[in-house]
Amino acid sequence: MASRRLLRALTKTTPFLFRNSSSRRSLVVPPFSHANASSTKPASAIAQWPHLRYFSSDKHSDEDDNSEDDCGDDEEEDYEDDDDDDYVSASGGKKAYTAEEKEAEAADIGYRVVGPLQKEDDVFKPYEPVFAVVQIGSHQFKVSNGDSIFTERLKFCEVNDKLILNKVLLLGSASQTIVGRPIVPDASVHAVVEEHALDAKVIIFKKKRRKNYRRTKGHRQELTKLRITDIQGIEKPQNAIKPEKPSKPAKKEQEKVAVIA
Amino acid sequence: MKTLVRLEKVKSEERDSREVVAASDIFRAQVSGVCNLTIFMESHLPMFKEKNLQLEVVTELIRGQHPHLKGVYKNKSQRVICVKNMDPEDILLHATRLRNALGRKVVKLRTRHVTKHPSVQGTWTTAMKY
Repeated sequence: MASRRLLRALTKTTPFLFRNSSSRRSLVVPPFSHANASSTKPASAIAQWPHLRYFSSDKHSDEDDNSEDDCGDDEEEDYEDDDDDDYVSASGGKKAYTAEEKEAEAADIGYRVVGPLQKEDDVFKPYEPVFAVVQIGSHQFKVSNGDSIFTERLKFCEVNDKLILNKVLLLGSASQTIVGRPIVPDASVHAVVEEHALDAKVIIFKKKRRKNYRRTKGHRQELTKLRITDIQGIEKPQNAIKPEKPSKPAKKEQEKVAVIA
Repeated sequence: MKTLVRLEKVKSEERDSREVVAASDIFRAQVSGVCNLTIFMESHLPMFKEKNLQLEVVTELIRGQHPHLKGVYKNKSQRVICVKNMDPEDILLHATRLRNALGRKVVKLRTRHVTKHPSVQGTWTTAMKY
């Protein structure tokens, strides 16, 4: 404050010093020891200052004050605009992923999109007594053939897409167990995307008692349902569980033959 | 005059996805009047139809009702979404959500892993010895 008063006095008494000043409004005011003395002797004070505070020429002190205020306001407005722009761009705009970025992000989460499921694909096999521990994102599941899994929404795949889950941590069968360090190389779990759906609504209720504060917010988590179709990387037992259907028609045929006879 | 949109969609809930792929999905949309839904009908619905040939999209005019999308699923359940005063992009988002869902009842998940064969090497018990 004292320095500002001093400068105002300077501009009034010695305006010639500020005529050739640049338009920049730097607020560098070097401190000086004898403030009281310099207020009465501006000439000696000027000699002590290495730098001068520059004002635009041909302006009164009031206008200088106003310009200072405007300068401060402009700076604040600029900061606010930047913040607003950043906020808008982060929340509103959808990032356009290239194919490589999609693959990279998907691989980071732990899956790879193979392609859409065709009608000719015979992907669904009967149950095999083999299991695997697979990681998707930050969640791990112990899966087997025919299981269904609910994970966080997987971005780059649509319904009826085939996926390969790469992060396999452990493989196991009735006779053998393969432990990964941390993942088993050359092991994969095949899955099909069944649906992308929203979970049931969860109401987040916040209250602070006796403080007149109450907030209610609803949230629905986006989920993806995967159907596990195949596990590769481990020897599967040869004696597969046979379904009971072929035995029933065979029995019926035998009964019919007996009746006819 | 109030406008109405109905979107009917049928999708299989069977485990066998062969049925999902081969299902004759029906996706109906009922629209009339001048509103954001008509803009959606003109701009986004043809593309939606092309991408989902397995769905039957039907548009109907029903007077006196708010514009809505109606999804009819193969498990005979229906899901209705009111799209009154929504932007065409939001309507497309809701239509895509209807299309992605299976039609099962929206219930809080009990487990994230549904299986019929929980154990391969045998369920552990305290009496088990290796």
